[in-house]
Amino acid sequence: MVFNNWRIRRVGQAVFTVWAVLTLSFALVRLMPGNPMGAMLVQLEQSGMNPARARELVEARLSVRPDQPIPIAYMNYLTSTLQGDLGQSIASGEPVANEIAQALPWTLFVMSWSLCITFVLGVVIGALMAYWEGGRLDVGLTSWAILMGSIPFYVLAFLLLIFLSYRFGWFPTGGKYVAGTEPGFNLPFISGVMYHAILPVLSMLVASGVASLGMRGNSIRVLGSDYLRVARLRGLSDLTISSQYVARNAMLPMYTTLLINIGEMFGGSVVLEQVFQYKGLGYYLYRAVNIRDYPRMMGGFMVITIAVVIALFIADMTYSMIDPRAGGASNESY
Amino acid sequence: MTTTQPHRLQTHEPILELNDVSVTFSMDRGDSRVVDEVTLDIERNEVLGIVGESGSGKSMLASALLDAVVDPGTVSGEITFHPQDEPSVSVLELSKADRQRFRWEQIAMVFQGAMSSFNPVRTIRTHFVETLSAHDDDIETGMKRAAGILEDLYLDPDRVLDSYPHELSGGMKQRALIALSLVLEPEVLVMDEPTAALDLLMQRSIIGLLEEIKTQYDLTIVFITHDLPLVADIADRVAVLYAFEIAELGPTEEILSEPAHPYTRLLLKSTPNLQAPIESMQPVEGAAPDPVNVPEGCSFHPRCPLADETCQANDPDAATVSDRHTADCHHYEAAPGAIPLEPPEMDEIERTPRHHGSAGEPLLSLDGLEVHFETEQKGLGLFGEPETVSAVDGVSLDIYENDVVVLVGESGCGKTTLGKAAIGLQEPTGGTVRYRGQDIYGDDSDVDATDRFSADEIRRALQIVHQDPGSSLNPHHRIRSILEAPLKQWYDDLDGNDRQSRILGLLEHVGMTPADDYIDRYPHQLSGGEQQRVALIRAMLLNPELILADEPISALDVSLRVEMMDLLIQLQETFNTSYLFVSHDLSNARYIAEKTGGRIGVVYLGELVEIGPPEQIIHDPQHPYTRALRWATPQLTYRDDRAQTPPIRTIDIPDPTDPPSGCRYHTRCPEARKVCAQSAPATKSGSDAEGHEVACYRVQDDHDYWEDAPIDDADLD
Repeated sequence: MVFNNWRIRRVGQAVFTVWAVLTLSFALVRLMPGNPMGAMLVQLEQSGMNPARARELVEARLSVRPDQPIPIAYMNYLTSTLQGDLGQSIASGEPVANEIAQALPWTLFVMSWSLCITFVLGVVIGALMAYWEGGRLDVGLTSWAILMGSIPFYVLAFLLLIFLSYRFGWFPTGGKYVAGTEPGFNLPFISGVMYHAILPVLSMLVASGVASLGMRGNSIRVLGSDYLRVARLRGLSDLTISSQYVARNAMLPMYTTLLINIGEMFGGSVVLEQVFQYKGLGYYLYRAVNIRDYPRMMGGFMVITIAVVIALFIADMTYSMIDPRAGGASNESY
Repeated sequence: MTTTQPHRLQTHEPILELNDVSVTFSMDRGDSRVVDEVTLDIERNEVLGIVGESGSGKSMLASALLDAVVDPGTVSGEITFHPQDEPSVSVLELSKADRQRFRWEQIAMVFQGAMSSFNPVRTIRTHFVETLSAHDDDIETGMKRAAGILEDLYLDPDRVLDSYPHELSGGMKQRALIALSLVLEPEVLVMDEPTAALDLLMQRSIIGLLEEIKTQYDLTIVFITHDLPLVADIADRVAVLYAFEIAELGPTEEILSEPAHPYTRLLLKSTPNLQAPIESMQPVEGAAPDPVNVPEGCSFHPRCPLADETCQANDPDAATVSDRHTADCHHYEAAPGAIPLEPPEMDEIERTPRHHGSAGEPLLSLDGLEVHFETEQKGLGLFGEPETVSAVDGVSLDIYENDVVVLVGESGCGKTTLGKAAIGLQEPTGGTVRYRGQDIYGDDSDVDATDRFSADEIRRALQIVHQDPGSSLNPHHRIRSILEAPLKQWYDDLDGNDRQSRILGLLEHVGMTPADDYIDRYPHQLSGGEQQRVALIRAMLLNPELILADEPISALDVSLRVEMMDLLIQLQETFNTSYLFVSHDLSNARYIAEKTGGRIGVVYLGELVEIGPPEQIIHDPQHPYTRALRWATPQLTYRDDRAQTPPIRTIDIPDPTDPPSGCRYHTRCPEARKVCAQSAPATKSGSDAEGHEVACYRVQDDHDYWEDAPIDDADLD
């Protein structure tokens, strides 16, 4: 009974989700009102191309051949997608896979910084609030956290942009690196990259508000637990208690939230990168939607979905490493 | 209280002296004093039992001994600790650093919640190591000592130390916690309800171990519990706490046989046990006082049958009953006469013998019932067979109309699953459950269409009352709507007024008056006992034929249990229902079965090993497991054989995913012989008594068992 093993089940679920996403985007291209194929054909024909040539182009770029029977088309689509062929961009004529490969690292760069800082901020602030529960610091930080949690990140992004970039001119208003620097491992380029990423990262930090409230609740729960009381009676040092007892246990639920946040951040990057003219995956997707560049859109969505699926899969697989109670290793009374 | 030096011992050498110790919490409603000027000596090397109902301040007193009362409580008074060869210390005046050393090195504490006393993400070993290093102890010798203590507690040190807390059973965790508390060799061990969450057998075994540990490690033990019979088994002296003060203090034997305080006497009478005639068991009327609002004078006077003006005006001092026995009562001399422990001779209440057994068709008939659960597979491998737990394995049982069957067994033995399968809440994987001859899980083709019961009718006839009334009532609904729901569902011809009068009538019937007031309350505005009554009424409103009562009284305070059981029995008579009780406590089982003329069924690892009338099960048990349960049930008499060896081979229950071959009990059975490991005994008649059946070779006089060689421990490994 192989399927009784939860690890295998999780792999199965992940594979199924990816398959479902692929199939859905296959179906969407054909079923969407004003279907992309038709739209693309019309677009090309209007620009003066002859219908036969336009059809050829559509077939090449969307990897869709309207005359093919659906099952064969579906199989071809699946095989080419799995081989990394996501079609060609209408706007540029480049393979979508290449374009995504170029844009993705920038988004990942901003995202990983935001995630790390959000997580650390959330944990530290949450722990502080819990430690001084009911005190002035707690009340102040809680209000701050609620404020942060209720501001949409793009509003903060606009505010930062207006004040820090346009008004005071401390930060660039757009772009990814300083023009004229040589991309590679050299100081001017790297420092330029960091400089340009600061504002996007800052605006994503609103998420730390919610995270810190979560951490606060978890910590208060742990602070009231029996094992903490026993640990104090056993005379353990404050450092051991705060790190190994309180923080360790309070952070467990945060871990899953962290990885679920990845999905949110990807979604957020679409708007964020538009605001900052930061040419990552989100920017690229937004443009694709605007100009109805279907291959790009499909490719972008697919990459995001798969990334989220992988992140959650990693969360599932690694959770038992940080929490011995989770996972298949349980053996009650030996 | 300060004038007469109460609870002081002149002749003995105290290890702890408490002088006017109070614990106070400031609350919005006023100061709440949860320990009120307790003055007490604790002798070196004694076991002092502190007994009290929940909310009597006993846990606070325990914490005060270590100056470990949680914020914002404050301890006042004086606690002096006299170590063996060192100068005395005043516990409440220690500096922070000294206090940290004092705790655990001199006085250690074991909490009630062993389940949650370990950090879930660290191994047991880490707990020992960090304790040793926090007290600058040598880790290596310390861990050797720890391994020694664990072995003394019948645990395998290597396995336990490398486990995470969740990998140990409750009993193992509790013993590991005791070992952890002893690792720095303290002189005093304070135990706050250390066995409350454990099964009877484990409880009794741990009590036995404590006795050994105490001598071996030269300990003084303060044992705090709500369970008077339990403490009778281990304590040298008992202090009875009532309303945050010591009501009575004396040697265990005297407290049990000649208690002087009316409260102690009433408490003794209200405690179900195996020996006293059930007619003598009576609840203590009234409720314990709120800490903000303790009655003037003697705090017990509102509940005391002896109370007069003196009691209302003056708080009594400790009166000397005998040499080492004191009672805080004005009328301690009159108490034995006014509250006799023995039942009055004349009213021998005739017990209505129930007609069960062969009489009539069974109401519910279980035949070879099996419930198997598949669990997640162990280990990190990707492939493998899932484990199967047979929660119930081949149980056959008939329940008749007006019948009462009490299922008794350790936790995890499948008694609740068996009950749920019987009333149609847990689909069995094998065997059948028949309600008046009709299979309730499907196949009813052999019943005539005209006689067939619909699923709804069966559902209504078989009802359940859960263990925890607090969580079985919807907290957002008033009592009215909780109780109206079943009426609306099943009796749609009733209008609002009929429903209301029916509910009011029932509320009054169970003693919840004024019913008009109760009907508009929310569940959290009721006490635990009242919540359980509401849950009970809700089940009764459907006029069911059988109620599964799953540990209906274990969430209640000791002094309320008898009252609740009486109510259950009385309702059964009124409504003509049958009960299937589930209990882990043999005393309660006996009380109910004896009062209703029912049967007790003993369940072990999913099998019904013995069933019969309470007289047989309690006084003449045939199955060795029943005997072990009986041994494990604390009794209210002072026993000389307290340190006797337990009638079981091993303390811990075998892994239910891998039950022993043959008779499942053979791994723990002191009487097991080779044949027991090979084949399981059939169920045979256990005695002449009607309905007494036992699944053990020992009731078969002519069986090969008697020629077989006994199993020795080597065979079991």
